[in-house]
Amino acid sequence: MEQKKEKFFDRMKSNEYYIRWGKNPFTYVTAAVLLSLFQIITLATTKSPWGVSGAFATWGAWIFEAFGGSVDKWYYFASPGAQATLEGGILNHPDSWRNFGVIFGALAATLLASGFKIKKIKSKKQIFAAAIGGLLMGYGARLSFGCNIGALYGGIASLSLSGWVFAIGMFAGAVVGSKLLVKYFMT
Amino acid sequence: MKEVMLDCYGEACPVPLVKSQNKIKELEVGDVLIVQIDHSCAMKNVPEWARKEGYNVEVEEVDDGEWEVIIEKTK
Repeated sequence: MEQKKEKFFDRMKSNEYYIRWGKNPFTYVTAAVLLSLFQIITLATTKSPWGVSGAFATWGAWIFEAFGGSVDKWYYFASPGAQATLEGGILNHPDSWRNFGVIFGALAATLLASGFKIKKIKSKKQIFAAAIGGLLMGYGARLSFGCNIGALYGGIASLSLSGWVFAIGMFAGAVVGSKLLVKYFMT
Repeated sequence: MKEVMLDCYGEACPVPLVKSQNKIKELEVGDVLIVQIDHSCAMKNVPEWARKEGYNVEVEEVDDGEWEVIIEKTK
């Protein structure tokens, strides 16, 4: 029995279709077309454009509420729409489901390509860089009402000028960020 | 001709790419640089850059989620 199983997976490893669909990464063009299709689907079914980081703020509010806090008076959550989202709970929150989908989809993809690995933390620098980077990105994304998905991708896809303005800011930020990375992080 | 290992395990993009670009500058023509990576996006951008430079490139999967990008500095 055991032997038979091994043979099956050995055969699969060299299967042309497995290599093409499961193992090798898609080209940028294929991925771009798929992303565009799925963001149209998400806009059509949930009536709001694709966003990622907005849900994290909502998760934060739920966690805060779970510990007895209240965000009703916070400007960010004061609108009737935001209140309705908080009332509705995580199961009725499309953004949360999309994010779960992204996480499980990424896990599935890496398992399918047998590329799953728990990575070692190499230095304390990495921890600080990840924590500071995450805080800055999360805070910045809320200040600008969107991240590279909600504000940039969603903005441009819905023919909004704000998406292009965001693109200019993000591009400039990426240039400065890469220079800082090479100068302070890589040495 | 010598072989140089560059350990980029645990490094996220674009660190492996920048490290490879810096390292290859120190090498002589004919030397081989072996970049060890475990970040799948580096598996795309490191070979892409090396091929664009005109070097000989090979990617080898050494373990689950671990790759070696073998770059021969041809010029």
